[in-house]
Amino acid sequence: MPDAASAQVIPIGLPQLLLATGLVVLVGVISIRLSLKLERELMIATLRTYLQLALLGLVLQWVLDVDTPWLVLLVLVVMVAAAAQLIAQRTPGAPRGVLGSSVVAMALSGFTVTFAVTGLIVQVEPWYMPRYVIPIAGMVLGNSMTGIALSLERLFADMDLRAEEIIASLALGATPWEAAGDVVRSALRAGLMPTINAMAAAGIVFIPGMMSGQILAGVDPLAATGYQIVVMLMVSAATALGSVAAVMLLFRKRFTAEGVYVEQGYRSDV
Amino acid sequence: MLDGVSLTVARGELVDVMGASGSGKSTLLRALARLLPGCEGALFLDGTPAERIAPTLWRSRVSLVSQKTVIRSGSVSDNLLHAWKLKVRAAQAPPSDSELRLALDSVGLHEVALQQEAARLSVGQAARIALLRSSLTCPDVLLLDEPDANLDAESAELVSQVIARFLTEGGAVLRVCHFGSHLTPARRLRLQQGALTEVTP
Repeated sequence: MPDAASAQVIPIGLPQLLLATGLVVLVGVISIRLSLKLERELMIATLRTYLQLALLGLVLQWVLDVDTPWLVLLVLVVMVAAAAQLIAQRTPGAPRGVLGSSVVAMALSGFTVTFAVTGLIVQVEPWYMPRYVIPIAGMVLGNSMTGIALSLERLFADMDLRAEEIIASLALGATPWEAAGDVVRSALRAGLMPTINAMAAAGIVFIPGMMSGQILAGVDPLAATGYQIVVMLMVSAATALGSVAAVMLLFRKRFTAEGVYVEQGYRSDV
Repeated sequence: MLDGVSLTVARGELVDVMGASGSGKSTLLRALARLLPGCEGALFLDGTPAERIAPTLWRSRVSLVSQKTVIRSGSVSDNLLHAWKLKVRAAQAPPSDSELRLALDSVGLHEVALQQEAARLSVGQAARIALLRSSLTCPDVLLLDEPDANLDAESAELVSQVIARFLTEGGAVLRVCHFGSHLTPARRLRLQQGALTEVTP
């Protein structure tokens, strides 16, 4: 058998990319024929895919070549900031301070879980090895971002929906935590369910992305399995940590210092 | 909405607040329960200024029963005992099942079982449960927002008896009331354009 791994990856060049773009053109034709009015969005999204991924590839190549811990840390910080920004955009109903709290929550869950995986489980040498740290941080942060955004959306929607219940509880002498506890718990469940469902369905309903990627790259399926299990477990840990941190940092902001619930008509920040 | 409002309610006294809808009666009650965001003023309980009483303690002593009844998921008993699940009453023993039974009977809820699902109560039953949820905790002041609103004449009469008993035990009651009630107040106040005036009988 000839030298395996590298030989098995068939490179994708410009002709292949153009052929793949043909698939999107097909979607565009469907959109026009059915008046879905998605052509514009589709075109922009396709262009963004090309540009953003090309840029990502270039940056990653550069980070791998330079190979210093500072650059790796800088990339992580930029990822955390971008994710926090996306969370703030996705939760327009959230109180002021959502951006700052998201940064804290993302940094906490992202750094803890990423370095727990690279340092303790995979034990990469040196500790900042970009080939491992950056993709793992990307998966950790991406999933934890989704979990945080889901939890926060649910939290503030439910707090508004159940404002009367919260106020009735406060009227009996409840602290904000006692009054909003049920709402906080259901928001956290909402944030964690997708990850738990993904873990339960992994390998039956779908082949997880990372495992597919590794198999395509020529890695032995059994070796890819090990990595995929680590990834799924770390993703659920990161989602849980991030969601809990964000929800705990933010639910109290709907109350005044005196523990009064500020309902919709009384808010100055919306 | 309210400006320069001032009032005193003595122990054992029932004071009614009247006024057109939207005049701020409910807002006034919320302010007195320290449940209104962004309001200013001075509140005293037994001569102690509000700043010296923790908000949760204040709300456990000055108990607001809002007009819109809020029933929690769970049983009737869960609803009545909710107040004792809170830190502010950690040192107090909750009432026993027989005490709860007596309380339910006292407002004519003989047919309601303690273990019954609270979500299935009728509007009139739920309103009485909400009143009991507060009065059972023996606060100093009850702030009642139209306690008769969802009740038939017979239930309203029973609710009045509960309020009367609370008054004889030394409680103070501020009641928002549109129409005449079985229980004649010591004083009547009218809320109009943000100001409170005494109504002379």
